[in-house]
Amino acid sequence: METAWALNAQGLSKSFGRKVVEGLTLTIRPGEFYALLGANGAGKTTTLRMIAGLTPPDAGRIEVFGRDVVKDPLGAKAIMAWLPDEPLLYDKLSPLEYLEFIAGLWQVPPELARRRADELLELLGLWPHRAERCEGFSRGMKQKTVLAGALIHDPKFLLLDEPFTGLDAGSARLVKNLLTRHVENGAAIILTTHILEVAERLASRIGILAGGTLVAEGGLEALRGHAGFESGTLEDVFLQLTAG
Amino acid sequence: MFKPPGFLWLLRHELKVLWRGSILVRTHRYVLVPASIVILMFQAFGVLVGHLIMRHPVAPEIMLLALNINLAFLFVLMFSRAMMACIDVLYARGDADFLLASPIAPNRVLAVRMLGVALSILAPWLLLAGMLANGLIIFGQLWALAVYPMLLAEALVVAALAFALVVVLVGRIGPMAARRAGHSLALFTGVGIFILGQTPHFVPHAALAGFWSGLLPGPGGGGLAYLFARGVLGQPGPLLAALALAALVFCLVWVFLAGPFARGAISAASYRPAGREGAQQARFRHSAFSSLMAKDRRLLARFPGLVSQIAYRSLTLIPVVAILLGKVVIGLAVTVPLLVFLAGQLGLFFISVLAQMNDMPALIASAPVAARAPRRAAYLVCAQTALAIIGLPVVAVLVKGPALAPVMLLGVAGALASNLWLGRRLPIPLSRAAFGKTQVGTLLGLVLGVSISAGWALAAWLVVTFV
Ligand SMILES: Nc1ncnc2c1ncn2[C@@H]1O[C@H](COP(=O)(O)OP(=O)(O)OP(=O)(O)O)[C@@H](O)[C@H]1O
Ligand SMILES: [Mg+2]
Repeated sequence: METAWALNAQGLSKSFGRKVVEGLTLTIRPGEFYALLGANGAGKTTTLRMIAGLTPPDAGRIEVFGRDVVKDPLGAKAIMAWLPDEPLLYDKLSPLEYLEFIAGLWQVPPELARRRADELLELLGLWPHRAERCEGFSRGMKQKTVLAGALIHDPKFLLLDEPFTGLDAGSARLVKNLLTRHVENGAAIILTTHILEVAERLASRIGILAGGTLVAEGGLEALRGHAGFESGTLEDVFLQLTAG
Repeated sequence: MFKPPGFLWLLRHELKVLWRGSILVRTHRYVLVPASIVILMFQAFGVLVGHLIMRHPVAPEIMLLALNINLAFLFVLMFSRAMMACIDVLYARGDADFLLASPIAPNRVLAVRMLGVALSILAPWLLLAGMLANGLIIFGQLWALAVYPMLLAEALVVAALAFALVVVLVGRIGPMAARRAGHSLALFTGVGIFILGQTPHFVPHAALAGFWSGLLPGPGGGGLAYLFARGVLGQPGPLLAALALAALVFCLVWVFLAGPFARGAISAASYRPAGREGAQQARFRHSAFSSLMAKDRRLLARFPGLVSQIAYRSLTLIPVVAILLGKVVIGLAVTVPLLVFLAGQLGLFFISVLAQMNDMPALIASAPVAARAPRRAAYLVCAQTALAIIGLPVVAVLVKGPALAPVMLLGVAGALASNLWLGRRLPIPLSRAAFGKTQVGTLLGLVLGVSISAGWALAAWLVVTFV
């Protein structure tokens, strides 16, 4: 069944002692690239974790391509990939073994998985290191390995928590192209980032999170309108909207 | 000196970090009560032993020899521990680079590190030997006070030599292999002590007596080899000489290493383990469960101390094999509790390794697999591995005594199952699995797990003896 929404999250709330996310409503269409911005501690990671089915929300409903994350977690997870803000890697596994593991978890057919693994490793420049254990990797190499893991099962919905941390310019460009292509093929992506240039370039829609809820949403023009600016960069708008 | 960045200020910081990483603090808060009870019991035992020593005085010669043997064993045990600690403080904790980047004199940092290692390896033995010493002191044997400074002297020597060896080893073979060398040293010591304890069983009495009496210090006091032992007996000359010698060794190593340490040549030698490249082949699988098992098997197999730790626990197999080969004439039934105990211990160890190396539940939680799948895969891998190790002896025993089968199978399964269940919740502490990973094991898990293995073994023993 095709649904109109890739993500349909209504009235999400979460508190850890104090309220972190409050009454957040977020909708994303298939083929949309959504950037979630916000100051440190605004609740971006918490929001992504709730959508990924890792942190149960206190209130609200989340559907991914029509599958309820709370009621049908396995069905929803099968079409999602979640990229954590810190690369979660097994030190003692090599990138190839890591991809093998991830492909197994998402039950990608072996021949397809092998082909995609080779492609991704080649593309991300990890091919020479494919049989080395990750414990010796640099931050950027680890980031590329988990990115490959997020893409190997060709998820329809990607949750990326600061995916560009540690990537060199060339790799960042590669990943941007990869993600754009993924979206063009009908997938949806939500990403958080502190690099506003990334959001401005990639995202078709930007949401700004403050005080546990969206204070503004839309393209750059719409955000300017919210902030009451005639012109100005995303940075100016962001600072204006998150001030106070 | 107490003010930042003085020597004692830095030492306090170092000890704080070491203390927080130590087994007592990592562990449950509630363990403090049972721990103090155990300490009190040990102290009572110490008083008892002190009393026995008073009642049955030992010839000074034999006393010296016994002390020297103990000091030698202590040396090796401390040394192995010190090697791990050195690797940690130099290469693993990662704050060596940080401190070297600060305006604190590098040689001060090094001195504090060396002293910290000495004190941390000293603490448990001081506690143990101290109880015995206290047992003697309360009977008026004030010389036993000398145990305290003498253990400090030994720890200083050990720490200094271990630092020197570790720097050399790491420079040549890298921190991982150096750590393995430390593990192996502990293993060989364990095996050595075990074999020495067994000598009366296979060496003729006369030969053994001749060997030991040949080692006795003789009327001259035994010379330099007995310096530390005489120090422990409270003889003022040897005591002072041993302390001076220890300080000298410590300072020499410090002076020797201070230069390279300051240049960053030591801590930077291999801050990150070079990723090991193997002939690894990925085999993409159809099912999530077999992928989970493959991952667990790999993590288990790549745990740094795996072989030595398994070998340690498998010492239990030596008497089993001896009985099976007819070298020891005891009933075959004795092998049952031994194997049951081993099954429990292996299961506990394997599941603890996986608990330690598997600290990213969020990754698997984001995958479309049932919540219980990772748990089951881990149980299965651990059980399979344990059974692979004890399988052959179990089968051999059952072939010789088929009547033992029900008890054996039930005991092994029970010990394995209960310790797997327990170990996943309360893993035992492991010598640090990997650089920069926090220890998850607790002392409580260790005490409970060993008790459960022993409980099953005891039950099996009772059944085979009385039923
Ligand atoms: N498991 C938790 N327990 C308690 N508090 C938490 C937990 N997870 C997050 N928080 C709190 O929720 C708030 C939001 O955290 P979150 O990680 O979502 O922020 P963020 O927007 O991702 O920030 P950053 O830009 O720094 O990544 C923080 O104040 C954090 O301390
Ligand atoms: Mg975050």
